[in-house]
Amino acid sequence: MKPALRHPPLFKKEPPMQDTALTASKAVSLPWSRRLLRMAFPYLLIAPTLILVFIFTLYPAANAVIDSLYSIPRSAREAPVFVGLGNYADLFTPDHFIGATFTLVIGNTLFFAVTSVLFSVPLSLGFALLLNQRMPLLGVWRFGIFYPALLPLIGAASIWAFLFSDTVGLINTVLRSLGGTTVNWLGDPNLVLISVTIVNIWKQAGYYMIFYLAGLQNIPRELYEAAALDGAHGWGMFSSITLPLLRRTSLFVLVVNFIFAFQTVEQLQALGQGNPGDRGTLLLYLIFKTIPERRNWGYVNAMTVILVLLLLTFTIANFFLFERGREDADA
Amino acid sequence: MRNTGDTAGRGTWLLTGAAAIIWMLPLIFAVLVSFRPQAEPVSIGNIFFGSRITLDNYAAAWNIAPWGWHYVNSILFVVGVLAVQIVTVTMAGYAFARLRFAGRGLLLVLILLQLMIPTAALLAQNFATIRTLGLYDTRWALMMPYWGSAFGVLLMRQTFRGVPLEFEEAARIDGANWWQIMRSVYIPLALPAYIAFALVSISSHWNEFLWPFIVTRTEEVRPLTVGLNKLYSTTELGALYGQLMAGTLMVIAPLVVLFMLFQRRFLESFASSGLK
Repeated sequence: MKPALRHPPLFKKEPPMQDTALTASKAVSLPWSRRLLRMAFPYLLIAPTLILVFIFTLYPAANAVIDSLYSIPRSAREAPVFVGLGNYADLFTPDHFIGATFTLVIGNTLFFAVTSVLFSVPLSLGFALLLNQRMPLLGVWRFGIFYPALLPLIGAASIWAFLFSDTVGLINTVLRSLGGTTVNWLGDPNLVLISVTIVNIWKQAGYYMIFYLAGLQNIPRELYEAAALDGAHGWGMFSSITLPLLRRTSLFVLVVNFIFAFQTVEQLQALGQGNPGDRGTLLLYLIFKTIPERRNWGYVNAMTVILVLLLLTFTIANFFLFERGREDADA
Repeated sequence: MRNTGDTAGRGTWLLTGAAAIIWMLPLIFAVLVSFRPQAEPVSIGNIFFGSRITLDNYAAAWNIAPWGWHYVNSILFVVGVLAVQIVTVTMAGYAFARLRFAGRGLLLVLILLQLMIPTAALLAQNFATIRTLGLYDTRWALMMPYWGSAFGVLLMRQTFRGVPLEFEEAARIDGANWWQIMRSVYIPLALPAYIAFALVSISSHWNEFLWPFIVTRTEEVRPLTVGLNKLYSTTELGALYGQLMAGTLMVIAPLVVLFMLFQRRFLESFASSGLK
């Protein structure tokens, strides 16, 4: 699963294709059945992937658009009613029961995404700068920073549920021992989203770090040597060489981070399930929670369409930012 | 991952170590709490070890869910996804890398739409599809949506293009058919790409929760993450932290150990994938 993004090495200049014209001329002497097989061959090779993508991506996406235009009546015997954009209108009506939740959750999701980016991008760059040096125990330190990225979200969240726990939790125990007041991390409506965001930052920083590590290793050492000859050092080198040359990596990390933020919701299952009062709920989790209510099927699909449109926007933005970044780098 | 940087000074080393230890604290405490007696919660002045080291929490956690089945299901899930993915991705990757046919560009774009519309977002509709197909509450339901991988197709297409065309032609002159060419030329040369793809695929599906949770009902077909959720909701909503941490560690241990063994490979795979 999970987003998918153009990372530079995947796209290179295209080497020449095999010339099928040549094979075709050789094929003239073959019987027609062999010729047909040869023509169909490429399609047979891509058919499994294409069919699977159709069933589990294209068809459900199209269906979500259609279903989002209908409302399911209370009685199971009545047919769905076409309501046009009515479901969408309800979602954005703050005093409607679903609209109240939806507008709150969209706000939560944006806060979650933006805050995650603000903290995890600088953190991951910092970690990469530190770990890009030779030192004793490097492997241990690198493991320490990266391992959260490997954990299942729900596993990471259950560990944090213990750390955040009101009475026996580690963080509150430490706060108490320091003489501070304890905090209800997951029960306070004003804090729950921040707690969820902290877990996300902790979990993703190590993952984004590896892109920065790869980026750092692509910077030619000669640049630093030349700059050193010119008298640059420390911050000067960092701001005039490292940062600009990591621009594409930073853009990439930024967008991936944003896209992830709209899909990482499984941790909520162990971090208060969006409570209290949906103050901790994120968009995909709201969809997940709304599925069992048959009557809300139209809303589920309208929310799905909105989520997909948001993700498409970011992916397309990613694409254009990258093309721009590449031209700059080539120039 | 290569290390091309300078040797760190003492201050940098301390800073790095401190950052790493802070990042490791959740794991360290999960381990400590899992071995503490349940009756001795973390308290002021006694946050590290309890009066004795005990396996009671593991025993209690083990009895809450059918973990044996959960392990089997998680393994079947990741292996069942990966095995089919390797076949579909190899076939389509080759077609898009080396064959010319009508509609090639359009078909590639259709497949790439999967990268833009992640499966996770289509949860509700795919759930309905699984019900229609009569696969609800089966292991097939877990795997099927992941069998086709646009990312894998893209990765293999790029990798196969790097293979010199002369190798294929030489094999063809020797009378090799398509499958023999794949087996003797393309697949061996693409081995590093397959390994990268496998590590990324395994680690992301091992951790999958929402989808397995929605399309299954019976404990015996559910993977580890869903078992962990059950543990979470039965341990008095997580109040029995010793058991919860023991269960969490049972779930995450296989991947963490795998990562420790192949750290470099993992990091390189993740870095080249840009995808989890």
